[in-house]
Amino acid sequence: MASVLDVQSLSVEFQVNGRYLPAVTNVSLTIEQGETLGLVGESGCGKSVTSLAITRLLSKTARVNGKVLFSGPDPAQRNPVPSSGPEEVSARNVRERELLTVRDKDMQDIRGNEISMIFQEPMTSLNPVYKIGSQISETLLLHQNISPRQAFSQSLEMLKKVGISRPEQIMHQYPHQLSGGMRQRVMIAIAMACNPRLLIADEPTTALDVTIQAQILELMKGITRDFGTSLLLITHDLGVVAEMCNRVAVMYAGEIVEQGSVDEVFFNAKHPYTVGLMNAIPKFDATSKERLQPIEGNVPSIARMPKGCRFAPRCPHVMKQCVEQHPDLFEVENGHQSRCWLSVEGEA
Amino acid sequence: MLKYVIRRILEAIPTLLGVTIISFILIHIVPGNPVRVLLGHHYTAERAAALSRSLGLNKPVWEQYFIWLGHILVGNFGYSYVYNKPVVQMILQALPHTLAIVVVAVLAAHLFAVFLGSVQAYFQDTVFDQVVTVINYFLYSMPSFWLGLLLVIFFAIDIRWFPSGQIINVNDPHPGFLDWLHHLILPVASLFLISVAGWARYMRSSMREALLQDYVRTARMKGAKEFRVVFVHALRNSVLPLVTMLGLSLPGMVAGALFVEEIFNYPGMGLLYWNSITNLDYPIIMAVTVFLGIVTVLGNLLADILYGIIDPRIRYR
Ligand SMILES: Nc1ncnc2c1ncn2[C@@H]1O[C@H](COP(=O)(O)OP(=O)(O)O)[C@@H](O)[C@H]1O
Ligand SMILES: [Mg+2]
Repeated sequence: MASVLDVQSLSVEFQVNGRYLPAVTNVSLTIEQGETLGLVGESGCGKSVTSLAITRLLSKTARVNGKVLFSGPDPAQRNPVPSSGPEEVSARNVRERELLTVRDKDMQDIRGNEISMIFQEPMTSLNPVYKIGSQISETLLLHQNISPRQAFSQSLEMLKKVGISRPEQIMHQYPHQLSGGMRQRVMIAIAMACNPRLLIADEPTTALDVTIQAQILELMKGITRDFGTSLLLITHDLGVVAEMCNRVAVMYAGEIVEQGSVDEVFFNAKHPYTVGLMNAIPKFDATSKERLQPIEGNVPSIARMPKGCRFAPRCPHVMKQCVEQHPDLFEVENGHQSRCWLSVEGEA
Repeated sequence: MLKYVIRRILEAIPTLLGVTIISFILIHIVPGNPVRVLLGHHYTAERAAALSRSLGLNKPVWEQYFIWLGHILVGNFGYSYVYNKPVVQMILQALPHTLAIVVVAVLAAHLFAVFLGSVQAYFQDTVFDQVVTVINYFLYSMPSFWLGLLLVIFFAIDIRWFPSGQIINVNDPHPGFLDWLHHLILPVASLFLISVAGWARYMRSSMREALLQDYVRTARMKGAKEFRVVFVHALRNSVLPLVTMLGLSLPGMVAGALFVEEIFNYPGMGLLYWNSITNLDYPIIMAVTVFLGIVTVLGNLLADILYGIIDPRIRYR
């Protein structure tokens, strides 16, 4: 059976002052049914741009190349009611489509229905002038042939599923009356209302308090498991990846620099950038002398990408070759890849 | 809500008082003496002194002011010097005409601006958007009285579609609503044209701003069509600044109406105002000032209430 999402050589350039600048270069990744893939990297590495390119929500100044293959249920045979248990999609009624070339109309049918997104900013992601109830119902009404009454009661059910207390009241409230955590729960309810096959969560907990973060992650874990939804979880926090993901792709300066199963990447990290990120994770058992070691330097701006390895200027193991030649994504082990000259077989 | 309205009205009282004081001082500074105007060539020093005394003009200005204030507080606006009619009666005759022009023009201009600005945002950066922007800019930079004159010359004098002045056709023994409307069109049109351009520009930028917001991205994420994104999600948020402007722009609109009435010889508050200034008809000048002040305050209040209806964040505060 085909992967739910199969991104092949995705590149995004932005037109800035007449020049096209590379924000995302040659990104390939796959997500299987029910799997959670983590996409990690510091801020400015191109994670959001990647996710917005997949859903075609980028501005007109973006030029996107590559392929985004999505296999979703055939619209003709889809069960419109979100079932309480995992939805089994058999190979027979699955259809693969290339999202970068489908018509706008088809993309609108896919968004919110088969692919949904949650964003980083719960405080501003809901429309301030409409009630919570109508904002959830809207998704249902856009994609399913049901009455407003039915949409309302299904929305109420969704609010219960995302663990909101007093859901009847919340349905009639406005976003500004809710806390950040509650709003993110509402966003999850909106995103999951139509039982999508793929959920993309772009730093869904970054803007929240630590205790709320854990609750929201727990909720996402549970709800994607119950619905059988695949999850692309974008984060800059490797701790979140360890908690939530099956596989992980590490992104740096618009490229994937390391990719593999979470165990492989965590216990056998190959790329110096990944190693750097791991050293920057706060350890609870650390003595006060074992300080965090953030990687020195900054992510390069898309206007001045290094010619060779993009991490070379910050890399502790930089060699002459790194500055001159751009490394490929080398296979280290089955399913574990690293974009580093040190990872070339026999050299490490 | 009621509390809020009452508070706003109370807050407006000092402003209104200030306006009346300034007007009172201004009309007494302006060269000219109403007594001289009234007596014309019957003027003699004795008659002037007698008339001055009977109108109370011989007293110091501050005393005159307090006498006037005491009177209007009990609803007595006095009599016109020139027409010898109760001022309230004259104003009540003129006010509906002015209100009609202003209300129709403001509403029409706003609705059209909201529509045009949204459509422009929907067709962002297309040729349509650019052409409308240029036309808007052209209209925006045009002085109102000049535009009014152009309209009179073209529609009333050249092609004679609309009357150039007056409120009703004096030759018509039974002037009706349609006739009234016919006379209303040109003044409203000139007021509409000068204000719509500015508001449409404002609406366009407010709309473009709204379309960059996170909740608009959410709407697109849900699979909403671009039409729905613009006219349902962004529109209601982007009219908010426009509604604020509605309140702020009212004094300007009323002032514009005064000019327009002069050009079209339209018997509203404007014409009454101009004539009374020429004649130094103090009671009318002061009364018109007070009425326009009240209308402005009420208009602002109305805009605030409207804002609360559109924006739940205001309503619940
Ligand atoms: N619309 C845009 N125009 C130009 N550059 C952009 C645009 N959006 C993002 N970028 C650039 O692309 C790079 C990646 O951004 P982003 O995907 O938001 O990073 P992150 O990994 O933090 O989500 C950044 O350098 C950013 O400045
Ligand atoms: Mg981001």
